[in-house]
Parts: sequence; structure tokens; C-alpha cells
Amino acid sequence: MNDHPLRQVRREVETGRWDGVVGVALALIGVGVVARQPPLVLVGAVGVGYALHARLGEAPEATLDVTRTVNDASPDPGDEVTVTVRAHNAGDAILPDLRLVDGVPPGLEVVDGPARLATALAPGATATFEYAVRASRGEHRWEPLQAVARDAAGSRERTTAIESASPTRIVCTPELAAGGDLPLRGLTTTYHGRTPTAVGGSGVEFHATREYRRGDPATRIDWNRRARTGELSTLELREERAATVVLLVDARESAYVAPEPDAETAVEASVGAAGQAFTALLGGGDRVGIATLGPLDCWLPPGAGSVHAARGRETLATDPALAPTPSDERFYRSLWFRRFRRRLPADAQVLFFTPLVDDAAASLARRIDAHGHLVTVLSPDATATATTGNRLVRFERRARLRELRSAGIRAVEWGGERGGQESGERDGQGSGEREGQGDAESFAVAVATATGRWSR
Amino acid sequence: MSARPVAERDARPPTATVVASFLAAGIAALAALVAAPVGGAVVGLAGAGFIAGSVRRSPRTLSRAAGTGAVGIALAGALGGAAETLLVSGVALVLAWDLADHGISLGEQVGRASRTRRNAAVHAGTTLLVGALSAGIVYGVYLAAAGSQPVAALALLLFGAVALASALT
Repeated sequence: MNDHPLRQVRREVETGRWDGVVGVALALIGVGVVARQPPLVLVGAVGVGYALHARLGEAPEATLDVTRTVNDASPDPGDEVTVTVRAHNAGDAILPDLRLVDGVPPGLEVVDGPARLATALAPGATATFEYAVRASRGEHRWEPLQAVARDAAGSRERTTAIESASPTRIVCTPELAAGGDLPLRGLTTTYHGRTPTAVGGSGVEFHATREYRRGDPATRIDWNRRARTGELSTLELREERAATVVLLVDARESAYVAPEPDAETAVEASVGAAGQAFTALLGGGDRVGIATLGPLDCWLPPGAGSVHAARGRETLATDPALAPTPSDERFYRSLWFRRFRRRLPADAQVLFFTPLVDDAAASLARRIDAHGHLVTVLSPDATATATTGNRLVRFERRARLRELRSAGIRAVEWGGERGGQESGERDGQGSGEREGQGDAESFAVAVATATGRWSR
Repeated sequence: MSARPVAERDARPPTATVVASFLAAGIAALAALVAAPVGGAVVGLAGAGFIAGSVRRSPRTLSRAAGTGAVGIALAGALGGAAETLLVSGVALVLAWDLADHGISLGEQVGRASRTRRNAAVHAGTTLLVGALSAGIVYGVYLAAAGSQPVAALALLLFGAVALASALT
């Protein structure tokens, strides 16, 4: 029974569907005897025959060999992947009533045909069924196929979990979209880069003038002033330096929210945006790392270079901490925060991707900020307006954003539907960022408008 | 705003089993009608109950309808219906209930959109075969031996057979 490595009996039950047939049969016989009608006794005898049929027979063992093939093991996001399942009856008993339910990974959506089949299998026969799933970002492993076998009368059933002979998985690694320019805050490293700083030196933008010191390059001497006043002075230009950035993605269970049941979750949106930010920042010469806020540990230390770019792409695509469905593990916030602080380089700033649907995310952003790491909150809007509860959550999220902004933390939101009445009640700080009239704002557009606002 | 749910699956019973159950119930009602009109009407009621049970996906409703059908057959038998018609009606009634109930469990476990024809056909065939065999044996014995015996003797004979069968299993 349990000796086969790939098959595991999960459940054995009596369905009880023939319960009472004996009673009905005996009642018919009784009526027949009392009314002196032999035909009724005969009908009752047929009922007894059914009762025997229900009692005879065992719940059959689903001695199946399962092979599962996918037509594309590394699809692009959105591709349809056809899955073919073959179940071969390797035992020597007939399976008169067999129901197969394939273990589709939780992160994949079945788009064509249910991944299920009901059939009957003679020894040596093979049943095949096909279905299609839509690929989404991540690594997806199939769970065992559940086989429910009943006896011919359907009075006993046995559920068996059957692994396929070779494990099935698909890996879907999206290309990171080339992101727009992402404005960073003033915290930088000593390396030359592209983030303007408040430090005077060599650069392109005017910063200040100071008294000439011996050794200053002649090109930076302010000759106009020399002509006007006769004094030598030196132009200071704004130095541009590289920054260390950690992309922190909120992947707690509460972040797996979406405005509609089958819409993209906030985690998906965050990962997509983090991918854009990753390529943009890395391309700009900054050092970028990746971390997740969630029960599973994920940490890619800040780095640069093409190997790092590939590693970042893989982390965002397939790391279990960023899986398309939430993990079952418990999340311990203070432990997580201590570990995160220990790892975070002192000069790192944090881009925090979170849907901001609970207070914990907002307070975390303020805590990281308080520890001296400049924080920019990037928030995909996963709220809806259908019910009063939806609107309350939406309102609370707005309030959190406002609070963050008034605490001096930059915040960008994107996506989500735009209601007409909300635009009027927005605070002055946020009013500039929703100008287009499309139904959803893309991350790049939101960042571009926010950049304009910040540089005013 | 909730965790992403799985797309809704059509958990209604497969159309084929519902239609086949309806046909079998029709045959049962017709046979009972030939035996005795009152009994036929009650068995027809049971057929309506099977449809209701299939639509509401409630095995309990099906069981009640099957009970009603048994009452109808008892009524037809007590009013002096012929053995042949009653046997046909009884087997068809069991088949109608069995298909409806099987359909509900198929709908629950694999859904209406899946392939279920083969499974349902094998199941219905088995049930029909068991019914036909039982009815054939019982009817044969009745014709051969018990045609002139009193009813009580027939019933006692039957109990003896059941006891023997139970002891053997």
C-alpha cells in the first residue's frame, strides 16, 4: 500500500451512498408479505441484490504511473503552457471509477480545460488529459496528482497522492523592463556616479564660489569676477556620486492583495517595478541590492556589474521569498528588522516597494528612515472602490501616504483605478502626480511626474 | 482586497448524467404507471425530486426522492401490479438515483467541464448489470419454483438466501 515511493494513500472512506437500501428492500418485502403480493417481494429481492453489490468489493488501489510533460519548461510571462498528463494503470485490477485531479502549482492559472479527469481504467490502459496554464513569473513545481478511486458501486473510495516519475517544473524569468531614470536621495558613497550631492567639487552644475586656493584648476577660476573685481575666485560645481541602493520588496502575506480577484497582486507589481528600478540604477552606475520584507529570507547584497545584474534578475524572477503566492511561514518583524539593519550598508538608501495596506509597512519605512537610511516609498495601488470596506482601506492608505510625506519620506504611488472625486480632496503635495487621464498609471510615468515634483 | 483565489470551477453535475438519470426516472414512472396509475404518479414525483436534487447538488434530496419512489412502487405492488413491470420500474428507479448521485460527486470532484463520459458510462453499466442480474435470477426462481407457493414461503426463502450470502462475504 504505502511501499511505493511515488504513491501515498491519503484517505480511505466509506461514502455511505447505498446506506438504507437494505431497509427499503426489507420494507418492500414486508409490504409484499402483508398485502400478499409476490411481485413486491421480488422487487425487494432486487434491492437486496444491490445491497450485496454495495457491500462486496474493496476500494481499489490506484496503482497508477503518472508522467507529466509540459511543452515549454521556460516560458515567458503570459505564455500558455500545455500540460499533458498520462496515467497508466500499472496494477492488475480494473479501476472502474477513477477521478484524477492534477496538482497545479498555486501560482499558475489554468486557462484551458480543468486539470481534472474522470474515467475508468482497465489493467495496462492509459488515460491522457491535457490542459493549459498561463505562465507567470517564478519557479513553479507541480504537486502530486490526486487520484480518487472508487469501487464499482461507489461505496468505498480511496484517495492517493501520486508523484509523477520525474518532477515537473517550469521556470519563468521575465526580462527586466528598462526603467526610466529614478531620482535618488542625497545619501551617497564616495564613488563617482550620477547622483547630485550637496558637496562642491568637480561636476557640471553650479554649486558655489569660494576664494581661490593655490592649485585650483585654471578652468574653474571665475574669470568674470576676476575682471570685475580683480579677485581670484574658484567655481565649485556640484559633485555627482554613486549611491548604494537596496530595493526592499514587501512580500508579507498582507501584501498579496489585488484590486480584483484575478488581477495582478501588489507583490507582482512591486517586483515588476523593482526590476525596472534595478536596471535603471545599475545602468546609472549605482550599487543596487535586493531584500524582501517577508517570512522567507532573501538578500542580494548591493553590487554592480553584469554578473550582479544577472543575479538580480534571477532573484526577482524565481526567489521563493517573492513567490506568486504567499508562504505559510510565520513572519517575525523584530527579528527581520534586526537582521536587515545588520546587513544594510551604512551608506545605503532604501527604495521600499509596498502596497501600504497596513500600518506596519508605514511604520517600518519611518523606522528605517530614523536609522539614517533615506527611504523612498514606492507604492502600487491595490485598493478598489466597490464596497464601503474597499473605500475605507483606500482612504487609510491615502492617509498613510500623506503621513509619510509629511514625515519627510518621499512616496510615489502608481497603478490603481482613478476615481473622479478623489482628485479633488488630495493634499497639495500629491496633487501634481495624477495628471494623465488613462485608467492606470504605469510605474515609469508615476516616477517621472514625481521627479518633477521633487525637483521643484 | 483578498488573497488571490482560484478561478471558480463549474461544480455542477455533468449534463450527461443528469439527462440519463432523467430518462431512467421516466422509464421507472412509465413502468409503474402500467402496473398501477397511482403508483406511477408517485414514482413520477420521485423523478422530479431527482432533477431538483441534481440542480441543488444535494444527495439528501436525492435520497428522499428515492424513498418516495420506493413508496410509489410499494403502492403499485399493493394494488396488484404485475411482477415484470414492477421489476423494470424498480431497477430503473435505482439507476436514476444512482446516476444522479454519481453525477453530483463527479461534479464536486472534477466538475462539469471535464471529460466524464467514460466514467459515468461504466458506472451506469455496472448498476444496470447488477439490477438486471438480480431481477433475472429472482424472476427466474419465481417462475420456476415459487409460482404456486404462498408469499410468506417466498419471503422466508429470500431471507435464507440473504443470510447465506452475508455469511459468505
